[in-house]
Amino acid sequence: MKTSGAFRERLREAWIELKENPGRSFLQALGVMLGVASVLGGFSISDSQNRQAQRVFARVGGIDKLNVFPTDTVYDGTPSALQQANLGLRLEDATDGGQVPTAKAVNATSVLKQAKARVRSQFADQQRDITGIGADYVAMNGYDIEQGRGFSSHDFATGAPVAILGAEAASVFFPTGEIVGKPLRIGDVPVTIIGVFAEKNFRFRDGQRNIFAWRNRIVAVPSLLVAARMEGDEYHRLDRVTFRVPDLKQMSDFSKELSTLLTANHRLQQDYRLDDVAKRLERQMSQGDVYNVIFMLSGVLALIGGGMVNVNVQLASLKERVREVGVKMAIGAPGREIFKAFMTEALLLTLLGSAAGYLIGIAFSWIIAKSIGVPLSLAPLSFIWATVMAVVFGFLFALYPAAKASRQSPMEALRYE
Amino acid sequence: MKIIQTRDLTKVYGSNGNAVHALCGIDLDVERGEFVALIGPSGSGKSTLMAILGCLDVPTGGTYALEGRQVEGLSGADLAAIRNEKVGFVFQQYNLLPKATILRNVELPMLYAGVPRRERRQRALELLEKVGIPDKANTLPGALSGGQRQRVAIARALANRPALLLADEPTGALDSKTGQEVLALFRELHAQGNTVLLVTHDPTIAGMAGRRVELRDGLIHEEEELAA
Repeated sequence: MKTSGAFRERLREAWIELKENPGRSFLQALGVMLGVASVLGGFSISDSQNRQAQRVFARVGGIDKLNVFPTDTVYDGTPSALQQANLGLRLEDATDGGQVPTAKAVNATSVLKQAKARVRSQFADQQRDITGIGADYVAMNGYDIEQGRGFSSHDFATGAPVAILGAEAASVFFPTGEIVGKPLRIGDVPVTIIGVFAEKNFRFRDGQRNIFAWRNRIVAVPSLLVAARMEGDEYHRLDRVTFRVPDLKQMSDFSKELSTLLTANHRLQQDYRLDDVAKRLERQMSQGDVYNVIFMLSGVLALIGGGMVNVNVQLASLKERVREVGVKMAIGAPGREIFKAFMTEALLLTLLGSAAGYLIGIAFSWIIAKSIGVPLSLAPLSFIWATVMAVVFGFLFALYPAAKASRQSPMEALRYE
Repeated sequence: MKIIQTRDLTKVYGSNGNAVHALCGIDLDVERGEFVALIGPSGSGKSTLMAILGCLDVPTGGTYALEGRQVEGLSGADLAAIRNEKVGFVFQQYNLLPKATILRNVELPMLYAGVPRRERRQRALELLEKVGIPDKANTLPGALSGGQRQRVAIARALANRPALLLADEPTGALDSKTGQEVLALFRELHAQGNTVLLVTHDPTIAGMAGRRVELRDGLIHEEEELAA
């Protein structure tokens, strides 16, 4: 085999060799198949779960959010005058936040002020959470107006006594379906219904509960209405300010500038907390990596097991093979050529086994994804990992039989009975 | 030109305590185009001598030149190349690859020699025709009779136009009629100019050769020129 294209020739020989010994080849490839299937299946199931989790976050309104929460300034002891005079999180924080140099990266801002109140209509009387919202809250949280209209900037600016109900709240307080323009009492404040949000529905898996059910319970009013007339003080403090920064790379710069601004605004009091959703999510996802490592490990174990089967099959068929090798050596195959032939065979087996393993792995993960009701997602990286590991282990375990076969003396190999 | 020239060839198996002296100093010359029969009782060292002459094994001492090339001290890869190019083996048990087709069995030595595929195929078919089984190219050895298998083995041995055809009891596993046919084929090959060295224990077979060399206890006991 001194000709060019020697590898192709060798590959062809290996293929013939495999075809001539289908049973043995199948057994040898079995380990590779299972290992690849296991790595692939594990990865794609974990990937499918991750994708689904990301989809949840996307439906909640995306991961590209920076939240600002108020915190206590004083945990124990008597607060200082400065601490007492601190103003907390206000609408100004949201508007000023939109002015810092890197605020160009911000494409939406929302504010939130919550309260608990008695809600009464002519049909129902319930204790409810009241969500005072402002700015781009509706869009940022993935709500859609189904009936009526949304809040106008005038509504927000004046704290107009108007409300929009979630689908569940609408059906509880106005079961007849006539709703827009109807009056509702929230605590002591009479408001007018101006719209209804479309129902939000998301099930992590088919047949599971709607994890967004709570979102349909929303009773939304302008945040100023809550702060001014339901709960709160003269400063109209807020419970949350959220900035959306679609370009996650700008997030940390923006968050630094925002922090400086807020500290200045708050008389140098650290009475707020920044919460970077993307970072938090990343941390959560990294817990998923543990599973990936476990899947990878089980794949590696399967490949090692398969490799041992491979070696055993090789050694068991050695009697037959030794004579073959002896004959080949007698008619002029050098040991090096025998070694290469064995390794090429192993490579081919590994690749074929991998291909079969892909099919098995995809089939397995499809069945599992189907049974837990998650859409299947296949990570391209898992194919690469699975193949690389299969080739590495395939080669490692082929070395011993190949070396053993190629180092025989032709005379002994021929006499081998 | 001498195809085989050995001087004081020795082969010892085992070490000091229980060493077995299989060959004790063989001086053998074979000219190109000769038909030599190597005979001797079992244990006389003829298989050992044949293995060394075929470069399957290396001598313990002495020198051996195959077609003018000294082979003692050559590496395994060099010996493999010599076996491939200069020696054609025919064994008693045929030693065909059982799962490869007849055509592939004959092609294999040419594959190791780096002969291109098309040429390989063509020559293999020619050889099969030459040994009298042109229509069996795509069958497996298992489907052939003993005589046919031995013909395949001879075709394979001839693949790279070897300087020396080595046959170890080629008729040992055949009935006398097919054995005669195979021997006739060897004579024909010899008549075409091939150098043949045939190992046998059967004096009548040896009688067909041009020269008879008898081994006994690792030494050449008797050499006799015969009328070919």
